Amino acid sequence: MSARTPLSAIALVSPVQLMIGGIIFLPAIYVFWLSLNQSSFGQAASYVGFANYAKVLGDAYFWKALLNTVIVVAVVVHVELLLGLGMALFFASGVPFRPLLLAIVLAPYAVSEVSAVVMWRFLFEPDVGMMSRLLTSLGLPPIEWAVNPSHGLAMVSLLSIWLHLPFSFIILYAARLSIPGDLYEAAAIDGASPWTSFRRVTLPLLMPALLIAALFRYIFAFRLFSEVWLMTGGGPARSTEVMAVYLYLEAFRYNAFGPAAATGWLLVLASLLLALFYLRGLYREMFARA
Amino acid sequence: MPKILRHFLKLVGVAAIVAWSLVPIGLIAMSSFKADRDIFSTTGALSFSPTLANYQALWSRWGDFFFGLWNSFLVTLGATVLAVGVSLLAGFAYSRFASRGLQASAFFLIFIRLIPPIVITLPLFPVVNWLGLNDTHVVLIVLYATFFVSLGTVVMRTFIDQIPRELDEAAMMDGASQMQIIAKVILPMAAQGMLAVSVFVIVYAWNEFLFAFIFTTTKAKTAPLVISEMIGAVEGVEWGVLFAASTVQLVPVLAFVILMQKHLVAGLTAGAVKG
Repeated sequence: MSARTPLSAIALVSPVQLMIGGIIFLPAIYVFWLSLNQSSFGQAASYVGFANYAKVLGDAYFWKALLNTVIVVAVVVHVELLLGLGMALFFASGVPFRPLLLAIVLAPYAVSEVSAVVMWRFLFEPDVGMMSRLLTSLGLPPIEWAVNPSHGLAMVSLLSIWLHLPFSFIILYAARLSIPGDLYEAAAIDGASPWTSFRRVTLPLLMPALLIAALFRYIFAFRLFSEVWLMTGGGPARSTEVMAVYLYLEAFRYNAFGPAAATGWLLVLASLLLALFYLRGLYREMFARA
Repeated sequence: MPKILRHFLKLVGVAAIVAWSLVPIGLIAMSSFKADRDIFSTTGALSFSPTLANYQALWSRWGDFFFGLWNSFLVTLGATVLAVGVSLLAGFAYSRFASRGLQASAFFLIFIRLIPPIVITLPLFPVVNWLGLNDTHVVLIVLYATFFVSLGTVVMRTFIDQIPRELDEAAMMDGASQMQIIAKVILPMAAQGMLAVSVFVIVYAWNEFLFAFIFTTTKAKTAPLVISEMIGAVEGVEWGVLFAASTVQLVPVLAFVILMQKHLVAGLTAGAVKG
């Protein structure tokens, strides 16, 4: 690897680097500075040290939002991976009309969060929605997503899983297809049951893809905003807020830029922490290869 | 397991997958052609006389929505051209050159994806106002493209890696400049990768809510934002009109995703495996 970078290479990567540097990286650093200051619109900032962090960490609504986020992320990501894995194996075992079925599975990927909220609210509309009626006819209690906070979060989770399952599925299905068929033949010759060949062949070889899909989904699910905002608005009584909604309200409704910035920086740190091992591995691999 | 039982279980699986994916979409598309009284009626669930009343109401009372569609179209087009263009250039550089500086910048590219979009709205909001860019197409185009150039670059590099270097070397011998090599040799052969990147950007830009919600109000308001206003309309939700709007917003992008299925899958795997 050469120590110097050719000028033409610098010119070619500079548009991309300037965009992410100027629009994502520098503002993110500036958010850290903001988090150490007290400021609002049209007001000069004054340095307050870690007071904003103390304020945020002392706010019961922050902890509520954090807890909600952790619960929703844990449910969404794990259910999604499980369903995605099941569907990938189902597809790999041979399905009728495969191309058509694949298109059907991918369809929710094209749906906007806004339209998805319309669809699921309609299905679960109290008393008259199709799913509400189905639940009633089965003798089950209705989902009261507008009044019961845990039902509201359950709806948000359901919606999130529906929207993002195509992503997890594709990653796992592609990984499953890249496992050579010989391995299964060899396992069958050795008298392995389907369960054994799943445990000894499929699962270990799918592990890297599972970890990648899990990582991406943890990081992206952690940013959850639109689904909650459009489904419950964080209510009733701020009980279904997640981190991004809490940040938005602090900044744009209560004009508390300092605490909002502190929340933002905590979000960044949480993302970094989640991805630490991945980044370290990637860093080593990149510098070893070049 | 007897063969019959296996076939039966397979059919149940297929039915479950189809129901899960298509019932929510199909239900609102179908209900958009129903009169108000049929929307929630059990007897009219499947047998109803279709009407265009909801679409007429959408046209006459929510002109904003069609204006929003036009804005969405402009923003999507701009963001896609910008993101695909700069990703092609950077992807070429990362594929063909290697140096310590480039490696570090490639790492930075992936690292940056960890920063949640909502965090940067805090400093950007006053800056965008100060620049007078609030409620313009430009701000959404730049934001949407920026959030996809790192994935775009990774995907482009993966695709360009597969184009033999001998081709660029031959063109260089013939006296072609770097830009000519990209335009004449790489571009035609990397079309697959460019399509894959554009699928991501198009779906994201067409559907995005958060940035549009924060940075636009009237002039550059996109279709998802108008639909969200319809959900929250004070006089209560007019389901039929809302379904018509959701259907109109969904149909083009759904058709596009189905047509581009192959490229979407190729792009997702290239992007996820490498970074």
